[in-house]
Amino acid sequence: MATPEGQIETAFFDGQSARRWAARIAPSQDGLSLIIEREGAARLVWSLDRLRALADQSDKTRLTLTQLAETEDEAPRDPARLIVTDPDAIAWFLRTRPGLMRRDVRPGTARKVALWLGAAVGAVLLMLFVILPGLANFLADNLSVESEVAFGKSVMAQVEWMVSDDDGTDLACTNPEGTAALDRLEARLVGGRDLGYDLELRVFDHEMVNAFAAPGGQIVIFRGLIDEADSADEVAAVLGHEIGHVVARDPTRLTLRAAGSAGILSLVLGDVSGGTIVAAAGDHLLQSAYTRDAEALADAYAYSLLNDAGISTAPMAAFFDRISAMTDFLPEYLSSHPLSAGRADAARANAAAHTATTPVLTDADWQALRKICDD
Amino acid sequence: MTYSDRLNARYTGERGPLFGLAFKAALLTVITLGIYRFWAKTRIRKYIWSSVRLGNDTLEYTGTGLEKFLGFLVAVVVLAVYLGLVQLILFYFGLHFVFEPQTEAEMLMQVGVIYASFFALVPLMLFARYRARRYMLARTRWRGIRFGMDKAAWGYVWRAIGHGILTALTLGILLPRQTFWLEKYKTDRSYYGDQRFEQGGKWTRLYGAMKHFFIGFGVSAAIIIAGATVGVLGGGTPYETGTVVGFVGMGIFYLWMLFGYVYYRVHSFRYLTANKSLVGAVSFVAEPRTGRVIGVYLLGYLAVAALALAIFGMTVGITSATMGAFLGGGAAPGPVGFVIVAMLYLGALALIGALGLVFITQPIIAHFVETLTVLNPAALDTVRQRAHDVGADAEGFADALDIGAAI
Repeated sequence: MATPEGQIETAFFDGQSARRWAARIAPSQDGLSLIIEREGAARLVWSLDRLRALADQSDKTRLTLTQLAETEDEAPRDPARLIVTDPDAIAWFLRTRPGLMRRDVRPGTARKVALWLGAAVGAVLLMLFVILPGLANFLADNLSVESEVAFGKSVMAQVEWMVSDDDGTDLACTNPEGTAALDRLEARLVGGRDLGYDLELRVFDHEMVNAFAAPGGQIVIFRGLIDEADSADEVAAVLGHEIGHVVARDPTRLTLRAAGSAGILSLVLGDVSGGTIVAAAGDHLLQSAYTRDAEALADAYAYSLLNDAGISTAPMAAFFDRISAMTDFLPEYLSSHPLSAGRADAARANAAAHTATTPVLTDADWQALRKICDD
Repeated sequence: MTYSDRLNARYTGERGPLFGLAFKAALLTVITLGIYRFWAKTRIRKYIWSSVRLGNDTLEYTGTGLEKFLGFLVAVVVLAVYLGLVQLILFYFGLHFVFEPQTEAEMLMQVGVIYASFFALVPLMLFARYRARRYMLARTRWRGIRFGMDKAAWGYVWRAIGHGILTALTLGILLPRQTFWLEKYKTDRSYYGDQRFEQGGKWTRLYGAMKHFFIGFGVSAAIIIAGATVGVLGGGTPYETGTVVGFVGMGIFYLWMLFGYVYYRVHSFRYLTANKSLVGAVSFVAEPRTGRVIGVYLLGYLAVAALALAIFGMTVGITSATMGAFLGGGAAPGPVGFVIVAMLYLGALALIGALGLVFITQPIIAHFVETLTVLNPAALDTVRQRAHDVGADAEGFADALDIGAAI
C-alpha cells in the first residue's frame, strides 16, 4: 500500500443508498489523506488523521473504515463505510494509524453525564430516605384502626399458611391452663392501660426462638422462645417489646415502606450478574437501618410497661446475655436489631433503678405456660 | 422473482473470541459495580451483529455504551419516582379492601389484592419492550443504511394488554391472534432505510404451530383416563391408581407443553418471517428447526451447569478458606471480608454469564441466522438512507426493569 502502484480494491457504501460500490483506494501523494475512486462517482478524499475503524468486530480479515465527522448520529461519524479486505492494507492501517480505534466524544458530554448522574442519585436517595419513609409514616398514622386490624388478620392468615405443616394442622397452642396463664401475664403487664388495640396474643408450636407483631394488635410468640426462657419475666419482657411495636404501628409502617422501596434498589442495580443478590443485601441493610431505631423505641416501651407493673428487667438482661452468642454474629450495622449485649446492659441498668418488683406469674402459672402447647 | 437471486445469511462468530470479550466485559462490570454493563452489552452486540452476514456484507451495531448509560439514568429518575409512589399508594388503597379471610381461597385473593400494585409495572414493561426494539433497530445498519421503527410504544402497550387479557380469558386458545397482531403492529412500523416492512398472512394460519399444545393435552388426558379406568378395573384402589396415573400423565403433559412452546415459537417465527416483505419485492424464508433449538438449549445448559458447578465449588472452597482464616484469627469477618467474598461470587456469576452467552445465546442466534434467506435482494439497491433516530432513553427503561434480552 505504501508503494505507488498499490491501488487496493475495496467495497464502499456511501451512507446515502444501499448500493454496494466497488472502490479503489490509495494514499495521496503527500501521505496525509486517502483517495477513494469509484466508477461513475466523484472521487473522495478522506483525511488519514480523521480515519476511524469499527471496534469489536468478529471478522479479523476485514476492516471497516469511516471518518470522524460532526453529524447528528449517536457517535460523531460519517455514515459512509469503506470495507477493506486486503490483508496487507489492513496491516498497514493498523500499523500507521494509532488513532484508528479512538472513541471520540462530543464536547459537553462529561457535563451531561454528571448532570444526569446527580439527578438519578438524588432522586433515588430522596425517595428512599425522605419521601417513602415520610409517606409511609403519614399513611400508617392515618390508616383507620379497623383497616389496620383487618390487614393484620390477613397477614396472620398468610403467616399461618406459610409455617403450617403440610397436613395443614393449626399451629396455635390451646392448652386451657397455659392460655389462662398467658392471659394473666398479659393482664399484669398491660394493667389498665388503653393501648388503642385489642391485643390478640397467641403461641405457635414452632421451635423458632422468636416473637413478632403483625399490624393491629396481633402478637405471636413461638414455643421455642418460651422453651428458651428461664422465667415468665423474660417472656413478659419480650411481650412488652412487641406491644411497643404494636402501639407505635411499626409493622404497618414497615410494610408500607417496604412496598415502596422494594423495586427501587433492584432497579438501580439492574441485571448485572448477581444483581439480585446485591439488591437483596442492600435492601436488608436499608431495612435494618430503619428498624434498629424502632427496636430501641420498642425496648423503651417495654421498660415502661415492666416498671409500671413492678416486674424486674433483670431476667430480660439475663435473656439477652444468653442469646447474644446466637444473635451477635453480625456487626450491628448489618443487623435489624441493636446488639443483644448492649440491650442486656440497658436492661441491667433499668433493673438497678427499679428494685420493688415481684415475678409476673406464680410458679404454678409459669409451669402451666410452659406446657401451653401440650394437649 | 427469480429463485437464483437470493442472499443466504451466515453467522461467522466463534466461541473463543466472544467468550474472551464477554468475560473481560463482565469482570469490568463487577469491578465498576455494574456501571460498565452498558458498555459491556454494547461491545457484545457489536461482535454479534458483525458476525451476521447477508451475502457479502455484515450487519453493523452503532449504539454506544455512553448513550445507554445516559438513557438508564433518565429511566431511573422517572422510575424511582413512579415505582416508589405508585406502589406505595396502590398498596395503601389495597389495604382498605382487606377483610378477615374465612377460607384459603379468600386469603389467596387478598394476597392478590395486596400485591396488585405490581401490575402497575406491566404497562411500563411493555412500553420498555417496544422502545428497546426500536432502539436496537435504530442502531443497526446494513450496507451503511439504518434500520428504524416508528415512535408508537403506547399504541403497542394497550394492544399488548388487550391481547394478553383475551389470551388469558380463552385459556391460550387465542394465542396465535395475539402473536400475529402484535408482530404485525411492530413489523408494519419497521423500516430498512426509507422502505417499510410489511407483515402479511393471517393469524388463523398460526394454529398449525400450536398443534403440539393440543396433541400434548389430548395425549396426557387420554393416558390419565385410560390409566385410571384400567387401574380401577384391575383391582387397584382409586387412590393408588389416581396417584400413579396422575403423576405419569402430568409428567408427560409438562414435557409436551415445553416442547410445544418451543415448537410454537420456532414455527410461528417461520410463518411470520415468510410473510414479511420489504419494498413490496424483497421477501424472506426462515427455516429454523425445533429439534435443533431444543438440542442447543439442552447441550448448552448441560455444559454451562457442569462448568458452573466446578466454578462454584472452587468459589465456595476459597470462601470457606477465607472465613476459616478469619475465625482462626478470632476476629469476626469485617467489611473487607464480606467485600472479598461478594466479589468472588460476582466474579463466578460473571463467568457463568459469559458461558451462557457462548454456549446458548450465540448458537441459537447462529441457527436462526443460518436458516434465513433473502429473496430478490437486487431490489435493495434502490433503498435510500433514513434520518437518524435519537432513540431517547436508549433502552434505559428496559435495562432498569430487567427485561433486556440475553444480549
